[in-house]
Amino acid sequence: MAAQNGTSSQNASADMMDMWRTWLNETERQLNSFFGEVLGQESFARVSANYVDAYSVIQRALNQSMERYLTTFNLPTHSDITELGERLSNIEERLASMENVIRTIAANAGVEVGGTVTQMRPRRTRKPRAQTKATE
Amino acid sequence: MTTTARPTVETIIETAQEEAERTRDRIRKGVEILLARNEPPVGVTPKEVIYQRGTLKLYHYRPMSDEVYRVPVVFVMSLVSKPWILDLTFGQSFIQYMLAQGFDVFMIDWGVPRPEDKRLRFEDYVTDLMPDCFEHVQKATGEEEYSILGYCMGGLFGLMYAGTYPDAPLKNLACAATPVDMEGMGLFRKWQNPRYFDVDRLVDSLGNIPPEMMLRSFELLRPMDRWGGYLRLIDNLWNEQFVYGFRIMYKWTNEQIPFPGETYRQFTKDLMWENKLMKGTYTLDGRRVDTSAIKIPVLHAMAEHDHIAPYAATKPLTDIVGSEDKEDIVVKGGHVSLVAGKNAMFRLWPKVADWLAQRSV
Repeated sequence: MAAQNGTSSQNASADMMDMWRTWLNETERQLNSFFGEVLGQESFARVSANYVDAYSVIQRALNQSMERYLTTFNLPTHSDITELGERLSNIEERLASMENVIRTIAANAGVEVGGTVTQMRPRRTRKPRAQTKATE
Repeated sequence: MTTTARPTVETIIETAQEEAERTRDRIRKGVEILLARNEPPVGVTPKEVIYQRGTLKLYHYRPMSDEVYRVPVVFVMSLVSKPWILDLTFGQSFIQYMLAQGFDVFMIDWGVPRPEDKRLRFEDYVTDLMPDCFEHVQKATGEEEYSILGYCMGGLFGLMYAGTYPDAPLKNLACAATPVDMEGMGLFRKWQNPRYFDVDRLVDSLGNIPPEMMLRSFELLRPMDRWGGYLRLIDNLWNEQFVYGFRIMYKWTNEQIPFPGETYRQFTKDLMWENKLMKGTYTLDGRRVDTSAIKIPVLHAMAEHDHIAPYAATKPLTDIVGSEDKEDIVVKGGHVSLVAGKNAMFRLWPKVADWLAQRSV
C-alpha cells in the first residue's frame, strides 16, 4: 500500500513536471512563430537596416577619430596593427613555401623530415562490408 | 472505480530527499557553469596540421585503422563558425566516427579571420586556398582523388569548387545543410532586402562583420530558443549528461567568429540578391561556376526543421548538379543536430559513411 502511495505521489510529481515541459515547448514554439511573423515584416527589415546603417556610421566615425587621437599621441593605430598583421602573414607564407621547398628537396634526396601522421601510411585497400562479402 | 492513493509520510520524505539531492546537484553544476569551471574538452581527436596559410589550417587526423579506403575525405568547414562542431567530444565526433569506419580524414579549417582578411573573396577560397589544400592532401596520401564533405557554407564551397573545376580529381561531393536557392532563405533574405540594407556601407565601415552581429542575427531567427534553453537547463541541472551537452553546444554557439567582409558583400549581392549560383550565372575569377557540369556522385543531407539553412533553400542542390548518381537525405532535426549530437550519430553519420564507403574504393 505504501509502495502504491509512493508510486502515485511520484507519478503526480512527474506529471506536473511533464505538464510544465509540454507548456514550455509549446510556449516556445508559439512565441518563436509569433516573433518570426513580426521579424519577417518589411517594416522590421527597414528598421534593422537603419540600425545597421547607424551602427556602421558611428563605428566609422569612432574609428576615424580614434585614429587621429592615437596618431597625435604617437601611438599605433588599428590600421598600423592591421598592416603589421599583413606583413607577418606574408612572412609566414614565405616561410611556409620555403619549408615546402626544403621538404621536397629532402624527399628527393631520400631524407626523412619529421615523423608526421602522414608518414604512418595505412593500406588504402579497404572495401565496404557488402563488397567484402561479395568477393568472399 | 479507482480511488486516488494519498502519499504517506515516508514517501513524502523520500521525494523530498530526492529533490534535495537534485537541488544540491543543480547548485553545484550551476556554480560550475557560472564560473566556467571544468569546461568540457572539444575537438580532441588526434590530428596534425599538415599545411598552414594565414589563418587556414589543413588538419590530417590520425587514422584509426591500418587499412583505410583508398580515397581520402576532406571536411570543408563553414566560414560562419568554429570547426569543432564536427569533432565535438569523445564518442560524439563525426570525424572520429569516420575514422573508426576506416576513412582517411582531413579538414580545412579556415580559422578566425584577422582584420586584414576582410579582403578575402569567394575566389580566394575556391580557386586558390582549396586547390592548394587538395594538393597537400594528394601529397600526404599519394592518391590523386579525394572526396569533399562540406557542412553548411563548406558545402557551398565544395559545390563551387566542383562547378568551377569539373575536371578536378574530385571523386565524391557530400554536402550537409548547404543552401543554394537563396529565395528560400526566409528571414535572412527578408532582412537583407536591397531596398533598405546597405551592404557596401556595412563592409566599407567595419571590414569584417563582427561576431556579435552574426550571433545576434542567428538568435533573432528564433528569439525564444535561448530562454527556453536556459529553462531546460535549470530543469535538468542535476543531469550530468544534459549539462555536458548543453555546455558544449553553448560554447560552440557563443564562440562566434567574424565573417570576412568582402565575402559577405559577395554573398549578399551575388547569392542572396541575385541568386546567381541557382541561376547558373555565377563566375569566380572569370570562370563560370557550372553546377550542371558536375558529374561526380553527390550526396546532400538536409534537416527538415533547419531554421538557418531552411529546407526550401537546401532542397534544390541535387537538382542543379548534372550527376546521375545523386542522393538526398532528409532527416528530422535542425541545422546543428543534423551533424552533431546523438541524433546525428544514429541518423546521419552511418548513412554518410555507407554512401562514401561504396564510392571510395
